[in-house]
Amino acid sequence: MKEWHRVASEEELQPDTPFAARIGEMQLAIIRLADGIFAVNDVCSHEYALLSEGFCEDGKLECPLHQACFDIRTGQALSAPATTAIATYQVKCENGDVLVMI
Amino acid sequence: MPRRIVIIGAGQAGRRCAEVLRELDPAAEITIFGAEAHLPYDRPPLSKAVLLAKDSGTALFPRSAEFYVENRITLHLGEAVTRIAPSDRRIETAQGRSLIYDALVLATGAMARRLAIAEADDPRVMVLRSLDDARALRPRLVERPRLAVVGGGLIGMEVAASARQMGCAVDVLEAGERLMARGLPATISTYMANLHRQRGVMLRMNARLDRIESSAQELTLHLADGFLRVDLVLVGIGASPETALAEAAGITVADGIVTDRCGRTSHPDIYAAGEVARFPHPMNADVSTRQESWQVAQEQPIAVAHAILGQDRPYDVIPWHWTDQYDCNIQVLGETTDTLHQIERAEGERLTLLCCDGDGRVRGAVLINNGREATPCRRLIASGKVFDLAALADTTRPLLSFL
Repeated sequence: MKEWHRVASEEELQPDTPFAARIGEMQLAIIRLADGIFAVNDVCSHEYALLSEGFCEDGKLECPLHQACFDIRTGQALSAPATTAIATYQVKCENGDVLVMI
Repeated sequence: MPRRIVIIGAGQAGRRCAEVLRELDPAAEITIFGAEAHLPYDRPPLSKAVLLAKDSGTALFPRSAEFYVENRITLHLGEAVTRIAPSDRRIETAQGRSLIYDALVLATGAMARRLAIAEADDPRVMVLRSLDDARALRPRLVERPRLAVVGGGLIGMEVAASARQMGCAVDVLEAGERLMARGLPATISTYMANLHRQRGVMLRMNARLDRIESSAQELTLHLADGFLRVDLVLVGIGASPETALAEAAGITVADGIVTDRCGRTSHPDIYAAGEVARFPHPMNADVSTRQESWQVAQEQPIAVAHAILGQDRPYDVIPWHWTDQYDCNIQVLGETTDTLHQIERAEGERLTLLCCDGDGRVRGAVLINNGREATPCRRLIASGKVFDLAALADTTRPLLSFL
């Protein structure tokens, strides 16, 4: 059963600065973009690496290990070496908290 | 009539040529010949994930068998090309097949160098180049042997790291003064040497291996200054480009198949892709270079595919390679020779080393566990701008703010 989980406070999230969040075993990267806050799976689909430690710009998140690029809004893999998308999650803000549907 | 394109070599570069060509030319007949029986695979996981039996996701096989069917790319695997006849634009294979091409791509890669000393043909003296090599090496490492790695280059050190993580006793014999000297500046070689020593690897620099003596129980490595008894030897002393077919066909070869910036060889209709190609250095057209990296296999075929279709799209990216050892990721961009000034930007366990020329231009960079700065570094290098070197060391300023 999916439910909302608090992952951060809104004020913790700086633009283009990924925030690493954990819900149990699950690793998420939370990113504030101009049009809202987004949540993606933090683990690169190519090889194990945390995307929240990567470079972020123009709505794209780049893997710090091998520079595969992902669209933060859709999870789509934009460049090699990754060929498969990462999961994205529904996000909402309530009373200054950021919640993710997992 | 559709263009007939034959690609010799079913590695990463061959696969990339085929997929880029398919995007550019929906009608082309594309055929790949591979001497190995495997679908095209990328090599970086071989010395890490494959040895450690970790899930490498799509890193090993980026494309499934269905991909080639869907994209009408004909694969002849386990079928080596034995001859090129350029005058009638034809190739012949070991199975007796003969095929006419309009364009031919040589993506034949490189082969591991072997030791030219006695007993080096013992089956316990192994190399790591192919997927079969990696799959043969893994079960040996599982037995936690005493392992000697001959050659402290990139492959040798990645295997040393994997073997330590599997519980092997590891000695590294390096003929030179420092590790991975071809790809890293001296300061980073020292950093990596310390990392390996902390993990229990025995490093022997300036080592000279005279001969190997084998018995049923073990291998004895006779060194200039002593001996070492081990159960297994991994030889990592570099690779030689697979140029025999090209040479036999009269194509110009000089430690690699000589090409222009678009992958054209000395012969019309014949191209070379990936690490077998020697091309003008992207950052210094006065010298040629042959690069054994994931990047060159991934990106240079884009130039080749365009050239085949008569379009100039030179390969001019900033050279980039990486290595993953233990939990340490190192990335190297551009030129990093020790003659350049080095600016260190350290933040905890993360380090960015900027390599700058005397005028203040950033020529290259090394990143330790700091991949997020690779793209900013690439932009600093590409800008060609002159920077105040003292200011570049200020870690309170993000790199992009200097542009």
